[in-house]
Amino acid sequence: MTVTSATSVSAAIRRSGGRGMALGAGLVVLALLPLAAGASPYLLGLLISALILSGLALSWALLGNLGGMVSFGHAAFFGVGSYASALLAAKLGVPVLLAIPLGGVIATLSSLAMLPALRLSGPYFALAILAYAQIFRILATELDWLTGGAAGLQRYPGLPTLFGINLADRAGSYVLVLACVALFALVYVVLRKSHIGTALRAISDSEDATRVVGVNATLLKSWMLFLSAFIAGVFGALNAHIIGFLEPDYAFSGIWSVMPIIAAVFGGYRSVLGPIFGAVVIYLFDQVIAKSLIPVGHQILLGILLAVMVLLAPNGLSGLVARIFSKTAEKHHAGA
Amino acid sequence: MLELDAVTVRFGGLTALANISFRIKAGEIVGLVGPNGAGKTTLFNSISGLVKARGRIAFDGKDVTGLPLHKRARAGIGRTFQIPQPMQHLSVRENLAVAQVFGAGRHDEARIDEILAVMELSHKAEADAATALALQELKRLEIAKALATEPKLLLLDEVLAGLESNAKKSFMVKLKELHKLFGLTIVIVEHDIETISGLCTRAVVLNFGQLIADGTPTEVFNNPAVVESYTGTAHA
Repeated sequence: MTVTSATSVSAAIRRSGGRGMALGAGLVVLALLPLAAGASPYLLGLLISALILSGLALSWALLGNLGGMVSFGHAAFFGVGSYASALLAAKLGVPVLLAIPLGGVIATLSSLAMLPALRLSGPYFALAILAYAQIFRILATELDWLTGGAAGLQRYPGLPTLFGINLADRAGSYVLVLACVALFALVYVVLRKSHIGTALRAISDSEDATRVVGVNATLLKSWMLFLSAFIAGVFGALNAHIIGFLEPDYAFSGIWSVMPIIAAVFGGYRSVLGPIFGAVVIYLFDQVIAKSLIPVGHQILLGILLAVMVLLAPNGLSGLVARIFSKTAEKHHAGA
Repeated sequence: MLELDAVTVRFGGLTALANISFRIKAGEIVGLVGPNGAGKTTLFNSISGLVKARGRIAFDGKDVTGLPLHKRARAGIGRTFQIPQPMQHLSVRENLAVAQVFGAGRHDEARIDEILAVMELSHKAEADAATALALQELKRLEIAKALATEPKLLLLDEVLAGLESNAKKSFMVKLKELHKLFGLTIVIVEHDIETISGLCTRAVVLNFGQLIADGTPTEVFNNPAVVESYTGTAHA
C-alpha cells in the first residue's frame, strides 16, 4: 500500500519491541522443551503436531482479530496447502522447501473464491466458509487423476537435508516448524502494530467510521484473508511432508477447522502468543492426558477444559497469565 | 468545488432525494436546512459515497459519482456523522493517525498535535475514544478525524445538536476558526435558524427530498415555501 511507508513500518517494529521480546522469550521456552525432555522421538512428534496446530491457530486468530472474520473453514486452506505442496513436489519435481511456500500461495489463490463472502458478516460469513471447505474436500476426492482420490497420495518427497540438518528427522522437523511459527508470529506482531493493523482493529468495530476517513476496508479485509490462507496453507504443506501421506478426509478434516478455534479461544485469540501456547497446551492435554483417561471420546474432556477456561478467564490463557502477573506486581508494589 | 446535477436517491419505492441540483463554490459555508426526513443526511451520504445516487456529483472538477466512499475521502471530501462514530478501542490520537495515514496518505505527528490543539483534545490524546470522551468531545473528535484526512470540503451533520446554548456558541466560533485556518469549504446540516444565520453565507433548503429554496439565510427564511415546510401547512 502506498500510504504505508518504510518509516511507518520501522516505527511499528520499534513500537512492537516490548511485545516482540515477550514473544521471543516465549518461543525460546518452547524451543527448550524437547531438550528438557531428552528429545524423546514420541514427545518430539507430539510437539511437532502441536506446533502445526499453533500455526493454524495463529492464522485463524489473525483473521478473526485483524480481519474481524470468524472462520469455520480453515481446513480448506490447510488441505489445499497440503495437496498443492505434495503434488508440486511429486509431479513437477519442485524442491520441497520451495513447494511448501508455494502450497501457501496456492491456498491463498484458493481463498480468492471466498472474496464474495467478504460482503457477509458474522454467522453468514462463518457458514459460507464452512460450505467452501466442504467443496474442496469433495474436489480432492473427485479429481482422482490428480489427487489420487479417496485412496489419497502416498508417494511424494519428505523434508530434505538443509545445511547438514536432516529436516526429515523429528528434531529437524521440530526446528523447521518452530521457525515457521516464530516467523509468522513476528509478521503478526509487526502487522498488528502498524497503521494497517490499527485500521483493521477499527474496521471490526465500525466499518463506516473507517471507510469515511479513507480506509479501503474491503481491500484490507481481503489481505487478511489472503495472509491467513497463506499461513494455514504453509502449515498444511509442512504437515503433509512430515507425515508422508494425504487423503481428502484427513487433509480437509473438520478437525483442522475446529481445533484452531478451540486452541485460539483457550489461549486467548486477542493476543499473539495465546493461540500458539493454547494449541500446545490443548494438543498435549488431549493426546497425553485425555486419551489415557478416556481412550474413546476423549474430546469430551477438551470441551470441558475449554468451557472452564471461557467461564473463568474469558480472555484465555494469555489473559489469565497477564492477570496473575498484574496481581503479583500489585502485591509486590504494595509490599515495597 | 462541488456540483450536484439531478441527484436522485430511491430506497425501494421511497424517493429520498429527487433531482437535486446546486453548486457550492470553494470557501463557502453553506447551511443545509430542512425538517426531519427532508433528505439532508441522505444528501450527505450521496456526496460522501455512503449511498449510491443517480445523477452526477462532481468534486473539484472531477466526476466522483461512481467512486467508493474511501476514494472520495482521499479526494478531499471529509464528513462527520450525526451520532459520533469514533473508531472504538483506539485512542484519540490513533483515531487521527488512521484518518491521516489513509485519508491524506502521510503520517505527520506534528500535524496531528496541531489538530488536537485546535480541537481542544490534546489532554485526551491518549484516552480511549469510545469510553473517555463526553458528547461535546466526541463531536470535536468527529471533526478532528475529518480534518486529519486534509479535506477541502467538510460535511458536518448536525454537529451542534444536543449541545447547550453556550457550548453551541463556542462551537460556532470554532467552526469559523477552522474555516479560516484550514481554508475549508463547509456544508453544515442544522435546524437552528439563528445558527445558520450566524454561521453561513448561504442556505439550501430541502423538503420531502426536493430542493425548495437556495439563497442567503435572510432570503431563505423569509421564503413562504420554507416557512410552510417548517409549519407543515403545505402538507396538512
